[in-house]
Amino acid sequence: MAQPRVFLVDDHELIRSGIRSELAGSVDLVGEADEVEAAIEMIRERLPDVVLLDVHMPHGGGLAVLRALNGTCPSVRFLALSVSDASEDVIGIIRAGARGYVTKNISGPDLLDSIYRVAAGDAVFSPRLAGFVLDAFSLEGKNLQAGDVDPDLDLLTPRERQVLRLIARGYSYRDIATELEISTKTVESHVSSVLRKLQLSNRHQLTHWASERHLN
Amino acid sequence: MEQTVFEESDVTTTTPPRAIIGTPIRPYRRGVDNAILGGVCGGLAIRLGVRERTVRVVFSLLALISGVGLLLYMLIWLALPRTGEGQSIANRLVGQRRKFRHILLGLIVIAALAWFLASLGVPNLGVFTWPLWLSLLALFGVVKGASPDERRHLEELLKSAPLIGKAASRDKRNFWLRLALGAILVYFGLRLLRHFGGAWGFAAPALFGTLVLLIGVLILLAPWWLTTLDDLSGERRARMRVEERSSVAAHLHDSVLQTLTLIERSAGDEAAVTRLARNQERELRAWLFDPEHGASDAPTTYGSLLRALQGEIEGDYGVTIELVTVGDCDADERIVALVAAAREAAINAAQWSNAPTIAIYGEVETDALELFVRDLGRGFDVETVPSDRHGIALSIRQRMQLQGGSATIKSIIGAGTEVQLTLPRPS
Repeated sequence: MAQPRVFLVDDHELIRSGIRSELAGSVDLVGEADEVEAAIEMIRERLPDVVLLDVHMPHGGGLAVLRALNGTCPSVRFLALSVSDASEDVIGIIRAGARGYVTKNISGPDLLDSIYRVAAGDAVFSPRLAGFVLDAFSLEGKNLQAGDVDPDLDLLTPRERQVLRLIARGYSYRDIATELEISTKTVESHVSSVLRKLQLSNRHQLTHWASERHLN
Repeated sequence: MEQTVFEESDVTTTTPPRAIIGTPIRPYRRGVDNAILGGVCGGLAIRLGVRERTVRVVFSLLALISGVGLLLYMLIWLALPRTGEGQSIANRLVGQRRKFRHILLGLIVIAALAWFLASLGVPNLGVFTWPLWLSLLALFGVVKGASPDERRHLEELLKSAPLIGKAASRDKRNFWLRLALGAILVYFGLRLLRHFGGAWGFAAPALFGTLVLLIGVLILLAPWWLTTLDDLSGERRARMRVEERSSVAAHLHDSVLQTLTLIERSAGDEAAVTRLARNQERELRAWLFDPEHGASDAPTTYGSLLRALQGEIEGDYGVTIELVTVGDCDADERIVALVAAAREAAINAAQWSNAPTIAIYGEVETDALELFVRDLGRGFDVETVPSDRHGIALSIRQRMQLQGGSATIKSIIGAGTEVQLTLPRPS
């Protein structure tokens, strides 16, 4: 696989230079931006494969970038990058269209792995994100009425649930494949399907967070 | 001007000055930021999503009907808790017998006063005056039962009162003029009321007398009222901002600066730096995102026990704990035992596996609690455990069996270890 073209958005020079040196030689770094407006403009112009997007920046942060570019460049995939993995941040950015979420303390090889995965069209779930999705999609305690549930979007299949639990337990995709005796490709497709549900489901908890932050 | 400054800052207040219609239902509370007297009107405005002024006008009009609005206001003042406080004044009064006795005493004093005035020939308007007397009693109750915060608010209000405070007397001549005019009108109002009061045939003059009286009172109090309106919200908000900022500064100084100094000092020691940074990060996170959990020191739920465990292991062994929890429940002694078993497993991993990261995953299901402790370290042969590590595995298993649960240990040499703890929940 050719090296993915990566664009870096972060308002901290230190973080940018750290990531730059970690990724050097392994990806094709096509540009950097340190603020929302510049990022939007340059991403439109350079159409990278993957945008590493900082969640917390002045003037709206990663969310503003995602929303400004919403749908206009479908070939660009976003991987959110943040110090915080508070569920509010995670859920907002994923629902706005990011294909994954990693925290800034991620190791170099793991980050690289995530970038390649997102470039290939797959989703990147951290253990925390997996745990959160399990929580949000759990059946107990949610007063869902029978009519409200769209089984295609609002329920996880037992297999997806299994995969998420293993991610939450700290398993890599390869470990999960071995554990469940399926191929890594199948694991990836399960995770992608969960991502789709996370983005499209109308489950109360998800929409509540989204509407509270005016994401809808 | 102050308003805009406030809007642009990042400080958020618990009570927005005005409700946005269509927002989720808020509880009935008395306002704090938009309070003039007791915050009753402000609180209602927020709850109902209407302008504060509207509520205030309605109450004022109701007050003209023999003081019914006044009494209503006082009753709400007593019955509704202030924003940010758990108990209403009435609650607090009933809870404290001593203060309750004071109220009884107040009742007697007011009854005596009423009797005294009546005997002096001041017109007794019979049934129409009781709202006024009751309101007076309620005010007494408020003064007795107010929380320290609210008392401070009332004291501030009193300080800026027209006759004592400096706020209203900036212009001396204006002040005397106002005082004289107000006093004269009040006097004539009282005269008219006294003259005609009580007799139904003279309702119109009585009403006129009331009106004159009110205008007099208004003129007396107007500047106080206006300056209060102007200053109060702005002042209080500014002060809140200052308080918030100083508390943030204090916290940053106490913990973050200290840690930075420590990090600087132990710059050569990688493990120590990592540990300090993780500790600080966890503390800051708890402080930022989870103020309630951060404040309470006794963990009471499964999740908080696990968070405490994470902190302990990270602090003691300098490893990173990746903690994920799904669901939560109150902790009983079985859950404490479960977490204790997990602690053994985590310490084991931290000491022996050489893995920098340990993943702990806890899930609450309807029929069982499951807990996984996993590392990607060097692993060991479960069958031939070295004798010095035997005890730990044993104590994990025994702990779980004692509570009717089970422990499974999987380990591959060179690839890591996973301990699975299962605790059935009584249905």
